[in-house]
Amino acid sequence: MGIPRFLNVWGTHQFWVGFFNALGVGKVVFSSETSEEQYRTYGKGRITMDSCFPVKALAGHIGELLYKDINLLFLPMIYSLPSFLKGHVMDTLSCTRVFMSVENIKAGFLREGNVFEERGIKMVSPFVPFAEAELLPKYLWTSLKEVIPGLTLEETGRAVKEGFKALESFEKRMREKSLEVVRWCAKNNRPAILVLARPYHMDPGIGHEIDGEFQVYGYPVLWYNYLPLDDWLLDWLFGKEIREGIIKSPFDISDVWTSSYSSNTNEIIWGAKFATRLPWITGVIRLSSYECGMDQPTFTPVQKIVEGSGTLFFKFGELDETKPAGSVKIRVETIVYYLEKYSEDIIEKKLRRLPPLPEKLFL
Amino acid sequence: MLLLGIDVGSTTCKYVLTDKEGNIIHKAYERHNTKQAEKVLEFLQRLEGNFGLKPGRDRVYITGSGGGFIGELIGARFVQEVVAVATAVEKLHPDVRFVSEIGGEDMKTIFIKEQEGKKNRQVYMQNVCAGGTGTFIEKAGRKLGIAPEVLSQMGYEGYTLHRISAKCGIFAEADVNSLVKAGVATEEIIASLFEAVVYQNLSQLTKGNTPLPKVLLLGGPNLFFKGLQEAWRVHLQRLWQERGIGNFSREEMERLVLVPENSVYYAALGCVFTALEEDGGVYAGYEKLLWWVNEGQYESKLREGKCGLVSSLEELEEFKRKYSYVVENKIVPKKVDEVVIGCDFGSTTAKAVCITPEKEIVFSCYTLSKGNPIEDAKQIFRQIREYLGNGRVLALGLTGYGKDLLKDVLGADVAVVETVAHATAGLHFFPDADCICDVGGVDVKVMIIRQGSVVDFRLNSQCSSGNGAFLQGVAERFNIPLSEIADKAFSAKAMPNFTMGCGVFLQSDIVNQQRKGWKAEEILAGLCYVLPLNVWVYAGNINNLSQVGRKFILQGGTHRNLAVVKSQLDFIKSKVPDAEVYVHPYSGEAGAIGAALVALEHYKRHQRTNFRGFEAVEKLTYRSITSKDTVCSWCPVNCQRSFIDVYIGEGEGRPWSKVPLEAGWVRLIVNNACPKGLVEDERELKAVKEKMERVKHEFPNIADFVKKEAFRTRVQKVH
Repeated sequence: MGIPRFLNVWGTHQFWVGFFNALGVGKVVFSSETSEEQYRTYGKGRITMDSCFPVKALAGHIGELLYKDINLLFLPMIYSLPSFLKGHVMDTLSCTRVFMSVENIKAGFLREGNVFEERGIKMVSPFVPFAEAELLPKYLWTSLKEVIPGLTLEETGRAVKEGFKALESFEKRMREKSLEVVRWCAKNNRPAILVLARPYHMDPGIGHEIDGEFQVYGYPVLWYNYLPLDDWLLDWLFGKEIREGIIKSPFDISDVWTSSYSSNTNEIIWGAKFATRLPWITGVIRLSSYECGMDQPTFTPVQKIVEGSGTLFFKFGELDETKPAGSVKIRVETIVYYLEKYSEDIIEKKLRRLPPLPEKLFL
Repeated sequence: MLLLGIDVGSTTCKYVLTDKEGNIIHKAYERHNTKQAEKVLEFLQRLEGNFGLKPGRDRVYITGSGGGFIGELIGARFVQEVVAVATAVEKLHPDVRFVSEIGGEDMKTIFIKEQEGKKNRQVYMQNVCAGGTGTFIEKAGRKLGIAPEVLSQMGYEGYTLHRISAKCGIFAEADVNSLVKAGVATEEIIASLFEAVVYQNLSQLTKGNTPLPKVLLLGGPNLFFKGLQEAWRVHLQRLWQERGIGNFSREEMERLVLVPENSVYYAALGCVFTALEEDGGVYAGYEKLLWWVNEGQYESKLREGKCGLVSSLEELEEFKRKYSYVVENKIVPKKVDEVVIGCDFGSTTAKAVCITPEKEIVFSCYTLSKGNPIEDAKQIFRQIREYLGNGRVLALGLTGYGKDLLKDVLGADVAVVETVAHATAGLHFFPDADCICDVGGVDVKVMIIRQGSVVDFRLNSQCSSGNGAFLQGVAERFNIPLSEIADKAFSAKAMPNFTMGCGVFLQSDIVNQQRKGWKAEEILAGLCYVLPLNVWVYAGNINNLSQVGRKFILQGGTHRNLAVVKSQLDFIKSKVPDAEVYVHPYSGEAGAIGAALVALEHYKRHQRTNFRGFEAVEKLTYRSITSKDTVCSWCPVNCQRSFIDVYIGEGEGRPWSKVPLEAGWVRLIVNNACPKGLVEDERELKAVKEKMERVKHEFPNIADFVKKEAFRTRVQKVH
């Protein structure tokens, strides 16, 4: 089973691993991380309509997998996402372009003959509404039974459970790592930066490893989608507002963002709120791909939220196929200068607004 | 009956006067300094007075970019310039198969083929790009401080050639700059320029045709530059050998590639030869042209243009009262005991300032960047030493292109990124600014400030349209000194309309406006007027200025030009009616001041400096190497880099390098087109990466854990 390492597979990866492991699929193969070479070698000439680069990059991933030793190609059409904000927001939908990317890019491989058939590979692209977990078994079974003979709905249901278990366990580990970073910052009174992006900006070919540049200057890097969610920590940061009735829970974003339908966007907004409160996040780095329609309306609100607390905010707004190495270097040097100059003050100022430091931070 | 052929080009006018058989009686080749019509008028008056040119009897044929409208005024018949050249070539050299004519701002090639006894011409021409034309060679020569007569005798063969971008004159200029900075010998740079010009002509203007012998080289540059002729012969010799046309010796090449004595007159001669074949073009006298020079041009201009930069003298005076400090402000040396030094090593100049711990600016100096960064630094520090005497240096900050290269060599405390240096300098004087617009000689920087930090910026050093060098270049061509540009521009009562965009296109637009009769000062006014549009919209890509804020600071050398300041002011106010616009009091030194201010912060925190001291800087020894071993191999462009090795005592050396470096030395890599080239090769990259990975390990990134674990295809056991 080949799965492209694309778009919202970043964020659901371990679900698929757990799911297919449980179904007894012999071997799962992910495509490599996005790279210019991958896109040029395998994706060239497969693009049928213009889109943001993360969507176009899928062509490279599919193309690469066609030359791997696989029988099945799994291209999930992820309609909605699993999110820790579920229940606190209107919905957890995927971007429509991201959701439809499979159909869009697939067309480029079918235009002049069916390339999948030529390579003897069966393709499955089920509709996947993660927000409605109870419907998942049916949707997945309906399309997978065509390629996995004898597959039953019950089996699929059990596998879905295993999938969620694997994903949750993975996310828990990552959030623990983040808590370790926060504890290190608290103990050493050192700043960290937080990345607000979409999950696939972790892909070096999409996010161009801009976040990594800050490590070289001595800043640990947190990501909005794996922040620590421990009760005591969230109570320290949000408790006062809950008690004052401003928000209903730590995960309530309705005070700053009302049309909370898009899952990634909701999490970005929540991350911004988290950043304004956690003292050691002194700089927020916003990554966004060129022509991202979903990000556009969030730019100003997110900036205002973050800067409202005195936290520094910097945007890398038009990421595309190639890494603009020269301009990234100057931008990072610029940002690092101000982080160095202001971090100490920012930490102090933010600490003053919060209740006393929780003991659990220093375990 | 006399025949007159006139060629009105973009930089010069030429004429040939012949008898009715076409024998030359007189000829002239003169620069017109943008006054095409005036120059032709002068020619006609001279010819009537001294050579008996007579209206109603003699015939005039005219060609060149400015020939059309002047021709109409004097009764001349217009001949398209390529046709004119080809006509002359076919008549004078029946055996020539390929012609290259290079002009001031254009270049042409003509392929002449003979089929069944009939000649047919294939003509290619380009006049929108400065790459490959004469202006570029001259400009580079001026920049390098080479007198025209020396330049014309400089050679091509036998010199090490360096990569100079041939495809755009403006990029090429940047390449020349970096070669100069790398300490490459002037002779090699000039030889490389000739190479670039020939390469450009062959790659752009042959379109798959092979130039065949014999070859004729025409136009000013081909005639005047000996090195350019050499470059053509070397290239063609190689080309003919490769394509099996023949193995020719150098002597044969001399014979096969001709540069006729009348090289610059071929278009004018072509006019005369055309006149010999037909009737018409009877000279009508110069009265109409005289009227046009004195009156007509202004009338037609007023119809098209807009009014000047200022609408009244009062407006100008009020503006000057408020802003003339921009020009008048000078940093007056003041003796103090302790200073912090800030240096800005830019692409064309190196500047330095000294400030006191109380942030008072007490000294400034600069040097034109002329060879290599080490020499520039020595020059700068000699000046500071002379000023400072026994005073103490508390800290040293560097910024600009050379900051990273020189940090260890000079023992600087901070290497400040340009954005920060310029913003710090601006915010020092105007602490709550929203936006700083720095327009320098070769680059444009727009920095957006929030919370005292540069949160966003636009840098543009790839495009010359908004920068000061472009304006200065145009003024230079008009023989207007830098200090007079503003007053000239203010003196214009009207100005032509320029469209925003690429500098190269603006250049041809200028030629166009000249043809309409717009004068130097009016063109300069128009260029000042369009500059803000180029800075903000074209180079800065900022379409909504009001989103940026309302408090603007203008700085950078170009804002010492009051005409530019006035245009900026009007432009910003038109977009943001309640805008406050300030001009930095020391516009040109902003970068150096910023570097000094950041160095001062550093001093306050650490109370010590790494500065090596004046004596050590003076004694720096270095060697510069440019060879095949210094070529960058990271990408197919293969930049010809140079290594400048400097002895600083504690350098690590590079024993593993292709160009080994002993301990005690450090290497500055210059002449690389991109940051990747700063790394010598794979071995250095490996060392750098390992070092980076070690640091990264200390400061974790959640994304690294995700990337490592998320795509494991076996479910992890949960403990």
